[in-house]
Amino acid sequence: MINAFLVFNGQGQPRLTKFYTQLDTSIQQRLISEIFTLVSNRPQGSCNFLPLPPLLAASGTSNSSSEPHNDVPSLVTYRNYATLYFIVISTSTESPLALIDLIQVYVESLDKLFENVCELDLIFNFETLHAALGEMIVGGVVIETNLERIVAGVKAQGTVAKRPVNEGRTSGLGAGLGMGTNFVWTGR
Amino acid sequence: MIAASIVVVFEKSLYDLIRGLRNHKGNEKEYIQNCLKECRAEIRSQDMDLKATALLKLIYLEMNGHDMSWASFHVLEVMSSPKYHQKRVGYLGAVQTFRPDTEVLMLATNLLKKDLTTGMPTTIALPIAALPHIITPSLALSVLADLLPRMNHNLPAIRKKTIVTLYRLALVYPETLRAAWPKIKERLMDKDEDPSVTAAIVNVVCELGWRRPSDFLPLAPRFFELLVDGNNNWMAIKLVKLFATLTPLEPRLIRKLQVPLMDLIRTTPAMSLLYECINGVIQGGILGDSDNTTGTEEIATLCVSKLRSMIMVHNDSNLKYVALLAFNKIVLTHPQLVAEQEDVIIDCIDSEDMTIRMKALDLVQGMVSSDNLVSIVSRLMRQLKASSSAAAAIQRNGSPLQDPDGVSDDEASVRRPRSSKADQPAAPLPEEYTTDVIGRILDMCSKGNYEHIADFEWYIDVLIQLVRVAPVPRARDYEGESSTPSGKHTTDVSEKIGDEIRNVAVKVKDIRYAAVAAADSILQQMSTESSTNYISSGVIKPTAFVVGEFWSQLSSPEDTLGYLLQLIPRTKYPEALATCLQASIKILAAVAGDEQALWTPERKSRISLLMARVIHTLEPLTMHPYLEVQERAVQFAELLKLTAEAVSGQAAATDELHQDPPLLLTQAIPSLFSGWELNSVKPGQQSRVQIPDGLDLDEPIHPNLNALLATADSLGLPVAGEEDEFDVYYNQRPPPTAIANEPAINRLAEAPEEVTGSYQRAGEESYLDPDIVARRKAERRERNKDDPFYIPDSSTSPGRSTPIHNILRHENGPDLDIDSIPIMQLDLEKLQAGLDEPATKKHAIRPKPRQKILIAADETIPSGSVSAGPPTPRQYDSENNNSDSFTRARSKKLRASLLQVDSSVIGSLSLDPDKQPEGFDYERQKQEDAEMAQAVKEVERLRLEMQRANERIKVAQGVPDEGTVLKKKKKVKKSAGEDDEVKTVKKKKKKVAIIDEGGGAEGSGPGVEDGTGEAAAKPKKRKKKVVKLDGEGEVTAQP
Repeated sequence: MINAFLVFNGQGQPRLTKFYTQLDTSIQQRLISEIFTLVSNRPQGSCNFLPLPPLLAASGTSNSSSEPHNDVPSLVTYRNYATLYFIVISTSTESPLALIDLIQVYVESLDKLFENVCELDLIFNFETLHAALGEMIVGGVVIETNLERIVAGVKAQGTVAKRPVNEGRTSGLGAGLGMGTNFVWTGR
Repeated sequence: MIAASIVVVFEKSLYDLIRGLRNHKGNEKEYIQNCLKECRAEIRSQDMDLKATALLKLIYLEMNGHDMSWASFHVLEVMSSPKYHQKRVGYLGAVQTFRPDTEVLMLATNLLKKDLTTGMPTTIALPIAALPHIITPSLALSVLADLLPRMNHNLPAIRKKTIVTLYRLALVYPETLRAAWPKIKERLMDKDEDPSVTAAIVNVVCELGWRRPSDFLPLAPRFFELLVDGNNNWMAIKLVKLFATLTPLEPRLIRKLQVPLMDLIRTTPAMSLLYECINGVIQGGILGDSDNTTGTEEIATLCVSKLRSMIMVHNDSNLKYVALLAFNKIVLTHPQLVAEQEDVIIDCIDSEDMTIRMKALDLVQGMVSSDNLVSIVSRLMRQLKASSSAAAAIQRNGSPLQDPDGVSDDEASVRRPRSSKADQPAAPLPEEYTTDVIGRILDMCSKGNYEHIADFEWYIDVLIQLVRVAPVPRARDYEGESSTPSGKHTTDVSEKIGDEIRNVAVKVKDIRYAAVAAADSILQQMSTESSTNYISSGVIKPTAFVVGEFWSQLSSPEDTLGYLLQLIPRTKYPEALATCLQASIKILAAVAGDEQALWTPERKSRISLLMARVIHTLEPLTMHPYLEVQERAVQFAELLKLTAEAVSGQAAATDELHQDPPLLLTQAIPSLFSGWELNSVKPGQQSRVQIPDGLDLDEPIHPNLNALLATADSLGLPVAGEEDEFDVYYNQRPPPTAIANEPAINRLAEAPEEVTGSYQRAGEESYLDPDIVARRKAERRERNKDDPFYIPDSSTSPGRSTPIHNILRHENGPDLDIDSIPIMQLDLEKLQAGLDEPATKKHAIRPKPRQKILIAADETIPSGSVSAGPPTPRQYDSENNNSDSFTRARSKKLRASLLQVDSSVIGSLSLDPDKQPEGFDYERQKQEDAEMAQAVKEVERLRLEMQRANERIKVAQGVPDEGTVLKKKKKVKKSAGEDDEVKTVKKKKKKVAIIDEGGGAEGSGPGVEDGTGEAAAKPKKRKKKVVKLDGEGEVTAQP
């Protein structure tokens, strides 16, 4: 299952935090900063998987090869879009490559909802972020991966606010979060 | 109306808050504090709009780490708002901020039930999505009845969310499954069901599958159908994963699956599905058992070759990573398949990507052999060396990258230029990684009692180098119990390195001299560098042991004693200190206690000084708080004082008068340490030693021990005359004749045994520090300098460089040992074969040191001498640290991981309807539990009343306040604990009692509602305690 879904920017400021188990606010923050340290030190061309952050590695079994399936979070997958990092913490029941796709679906659905999504949209509409995630994952289990259905599900809950006009960006992120510039797994 | 609109003018929306945050860069803290203050006021207002906005702002701030647990009641208020957009904010607040100890959750039950049964699909979705975050067993029990019908909702979106939520309910309350599973199964079998609902069910089944695979075996045909014509890659991935857990139970599935899986592998365009198919083949045991190899051969080679190309051909690090993941699984069952891919895997060790490196290391560790050990370790050593020198460079120049302090917001996009990082090829590795790699190197080398190591001198040099690159351990407690969770695996890797040196010294006698020299040099380095700080490195302890135990191999015991004496005052950890003390006395005994040497005036004064120095070091430690240290310090100090007296009393021998050295010095003290040689004992063997007959460990040592101790306390300690030896030194003139204190031949006799053996050590310089390399070379030269067959290095004697030498050098590298050519065994018949080519020649002349070097195995007690029954009752745990580490490992397992969902209970539930003919009536169960809860509440209320009355009486009697408070606390705790324990036992009894009371039992629903009013407010505190205790009980009950 998926244990947590996080979004933060290049400075480690959280934009979305969703933990599928209850966790103290302070520990959440510690975990985010640990993951941020890991993610921001990645050399170019690295894979989209992180080693376990110390908080998780200490309590779980890091090489769980002896018991391949368990409840322990063992996989940290991330993707970087423009200024944002999208993180998924999951157990070994999830497929690593599929998680990369899942993040892509999430970002694409945000892009559809906001029309050329940029970080500002996420800042000012974090409720919509939660709504979109809620259409994809419930209680740590993926329930939907179809773009249209996700967007329809969010729109059914009410209109999606646009970003404030005067806060719009003139450059850079206008081209969305740089989707498609990264690789995309074919044939999801 | 007007007033309300004015309020609206002043209130801040979330948009204003975020803008404000962005406009207050620099003094955000203050701004946030102000906002929090405003929110506190706003959230109390009667205006629901204002309340909801304040809550939304709080949720936003909570995301940034500002606690809002205080607002949980207001969250509940907003949740109960009739307007959807407000309700949504409330539910978001609950999801994000409710914690296990949030008290108001009890009050939310009815709201959740109500929202679950409304007509609005958007509203229904809110509690369904929120439940997994806040679920507790009792909550699950209450909402289950309302949640189940949502499985038949006409909207697929509601259906699939309900299914997932039911799964999460089942994790905390397994009985859910009994009611829900038949319905879920029905949905799964329904071919007209919405495909996304089917996919959600498959996801849930995949999660449940590994916990209780046998339940899902009957559904295999349906899964098979979905896999073949599901046309959904996401679902196919999950199905393959599910099948991998089912095949071990039903081997016939393997044959059925082979065809579709192979088809998928060959045809699918989705890399993720391809990978999962391969993974499924591996995990499901489809790779082939030993008995039926037909057909599986093909699959195995196909899978492995695909994985290999994932690493090699695709220039995609993700594929590299997952391929390594898969190899890690294959290696468990088919090590030979993985070993064939050694080349590509070993290359991954040097990947820039830490994640890939670690996974490759996992693999490599299992693949070590004597052929590749040196090259693998060399690669790792080079990494460590580069990292530590980079770290040193940074320390010199200051940090190269200063993080922007992180306050600048979002799209300003002050992204650190990545190029700056790329310019730095050797950034220092993180400490955890360094520690991990060192641990792995040690594991690889010591594997199988050092079966892979051919050259122990090389190993010892590696160890010395490792000590230098090992990260300084973080501070830890005296008892070794680290409080931080991360401290556990970083506990002192340098001690592990030291342990290896010790192990080599003990186990490999031939190489002991090198191990001792290594320990000596490490101690020397420690004692000279950073003379002010405390030394916390764990390497001291084992190395001190080595020099103390094997002093006879030391080149200069007196110098070593000097290092130890310098180290003792600066050693941080008492265990290391105790070992140092012991070692220094051992060496002192060796240095001073030579029986043969004459008792000359020089010797006398030298020994007196030495002992004075040792006593001087010991004295401050006699008050050490750690008993082990204190005891040794006191014992040795007193012993040495006595000896010093004897030394000063024994007149030195002169030309005329022969004098023996004092017996205390030459006999008594050395006899303390000369016993049998120490051998390594297999962990756990010590506990099998039988207690000899007639030894009763429970018998008191002395019938009147306490009295003895009491009298000992009152005894005054004799003060030793410390000035004596100084008197002797200054006042007695030494005789003019100087006699060598030790015959040189003695030293030669003890010179270490030569071990021939030197190979190509290409690239050794790249990871060993220059001084180690230089020492190696010097040693080699020294060893060979009298050897007429040895051609010295051209740099030292250029005149003797011959063409042949140059050719040889060219061919074999600078370190060729010509002396190892077996010149004496000139066998003409074999001559021809030896001339073939340099490579084989090199092999032929290479001595096989492994045949020479004897590695002592761990000693065990032969099973014959041990009684068949259980081992001796006493466990000498303090002696073997293995059991210690075992328990530590177990306790580590006991601690549940962060983020982990505890699903331990769900496995024990039986879904089989035949076994439970009556089926499960969750309604009845629910009612019973509600009654139970009410009963407990009632009991508590009564107890509280009694207690109040009691207190009143006590106050009236004038009992001091403090007394009552204390008593009250104790009482509450105890009663809560009692409740917790007795709960289950007394369940039936209490129930009967309540039912006897009549009417109240049936109206449990409204009763609870009433309880939210005045009655609940008072015993709130006690309730909290009960809840907490419950939590503890759960933690300990986890396996």
